Amino acid sequence: MVVPTLAFLLVFQYYPAVSGLYRSLFDWNAGLEGTFIGLANFVELFSDDRVFIRSLRNMALLTIWYLISFVGISMLVAVLIHRIRNEGSKYIFRLFMILPVVIPAVVLILLWVFIYDATIGPLNALLTALGLQDWTHAWLAEPKIAIYAVMFRNFPWIDGVSVLILLAGLQAIPVEIVESGLLDGASGWKRLRYIELPLVTGQIKLLIVLTIMWGVQEYTAVWAMTQGGPIDATQVPGMWMYFNAFRISRMGYASAIGVVMFLITLVATILNMRYIRTQEF
Amino acid sequence: MEKRGENVGAAGFAPALDVSIGAQTPRRSLRQGDAWRSLTLGLLCFLMIAPLIMAIIISFKSPSQFTRLPFLPALPLRWENYEFAWQIISQFLLNSIVVSGATVIGVLVLSSLAAYSFAQIRFPGRTFVFYAVLALMMVPASLTLVPSFVLIKDLRLMNTHWSLILPWIAGGQIIGILILRAFFESLPREMFDACRIDGASDWQIYWHVALPLTKSMLGVVAILNILGTWNNLIWPTLTITERRLYPLTPGLYSYMEQYYTSYGRVMAGLLLGSVPLVLLFFFTSRLFVEGLTSGAIKT
Repeated sequence: MVVPTLAFLLVFQYYPAVSGLYRSLFDWNAGLEGTFIGLANFVELFSDDRVFIRSLRNMALLTIWYLISFVGISMLVAVLIHRIRNEGSKYIFRLFMILPVVIPAVVLILLWVFIYDATIGPLNALLTALGLQDWTHAWLAEPKIAIYAVMFRNFPWIDGVSVLILLAGLQAIPVEIVESGLLDGASGWKRLRYIELPLVTGQIKLLIVLTIMWGVQEYTAVWAMTQGGPIDATQVPGMWMYFNAFRISRMGYASAIGVVMFLITLVATILNMRYIRTQEF
Repeated sequence: MEKRGENVGAAGFAPALDVSIGAQTPRRSLRQGDAWRSLTLGLLCFLMIAPLIMAIIISFKSPSQFTRLPFLPALPLRWENYEFAWQIISQFLLNSIVVSGATVIGVLVLSSLAAYSFAQIRFPGRTFVFYAVLALMMVPASLTLVPSFVLIKDLRLMNTHWSLILPWIAGGQIIGILILRAFFESLPREMFDACRIDGASDWQIYWHVALPLTKSMLGVVAILNILGTWNNLIWPTLTITERRLYPLTPGLYSYMEQYYTSYGRVMAGLLLGSVPLVLLFFFTSRLFVEGLTSGAIKT
């Protein structure tokens, strides 16, 4: 009964994975036999490839921002929803949190491409209406600004799934604990700091790990919004890999980028495993 | 005493707090808090859907209406934008339903079979094989992207829906196996033993006993899988070059590229493209939430 599963995994998962590792050691163009060049691809990546280094920097920047928004902002929203006492409005707000998941990701990204549009975009229109013409920009086309435009899409930066996960954690806190805390005078910030935060550390750690892994991998937004441009200002490793493989046909080099991303993810996963083992709850 | 849910701390476990806490002050201050909390959240939610409201307003405008007053509603409503968009989007939608549908069926069949065997059948190398599956959780799509593309090319699957369905079944079943195996293991062993003593084969137990018990878990796996395949933008644009074969996500992207300057039509298309998942959510909201938060439940 496991045979079909294994057949699929071997052909479409194990073979490509091993092949990716192997091919990263080749100078390999599409359609040609590659030549074995050892670790030269990796040497080139880290010593000779400005764009790759910049892509790593962008990746770090985006990942830090995703951590702030997916964990920090989501936590604030989750606490706000949790403390609302009217069942009805609580339910409605929770429903709203699912909305961004239900709308296809590409629709939101494309709407933001439109919002950032230099000539007809509502963002510039809003700034002009407020008398701030000097602040208007070609948001996705100016090298210095584009990465921040990609980063700050989806304002107000609430990730519904994170909110739901944190909310589930908050609601699992036994009411006796909160009650005795309230009697001892821990309300407001104190309640959050000393009672609620320590009791949802599990969820928070999980979100941190998931967000890091996602931040390293993710390039759909960059792909759809800027394709890494202008002049590589928004390049991230995934996008650079895509570009090398499918635009200039350096498949071996692209595989090497894939391997680097794999190693970064692996480290994150190992941290994840360790945390799950110690954090059984 | 007061109604449930009127108490300090969130609802759900309200009765425990029916003990009035001395004075009325903590309760009143919390109720006052409700107002600004609702206000803040309401504002945030409005900002969240503001782009969608903008899209709805623009989607009803002709180009000249847009030039005159871009972001405010205007009459008459131009329904023909939707007619125009539908003619193009419907094909993408159909492709998506075929591809995501076939993938989800494949994932459910394969992962339930494998999960059942990992949980209930003893066969040589079981643990090793299970860890071999588990290890794939760590292999990111970025490592396999280039080789998978070459593989699809070598198999001559370019420009077919198989180029999407087959790899997605392979990748999607991993998380399915993990979720379902945990569930099958939680079922009482005695029940399966009893079936065996009564002479049932493994296939019979799988089909008549295990599967019916796991319907809602299958639903969770299905939703997770559909969300994943439905939103995949980059892979389909690699393996499929004929636009009429595009699933919805890359379809919407190319639609926006092509008609970018007819803003009304673009917005109408994006909104039409959002409808199916919203419908899916309406009919399966419980599974949806369970699936999305299952990462937290699992730990």
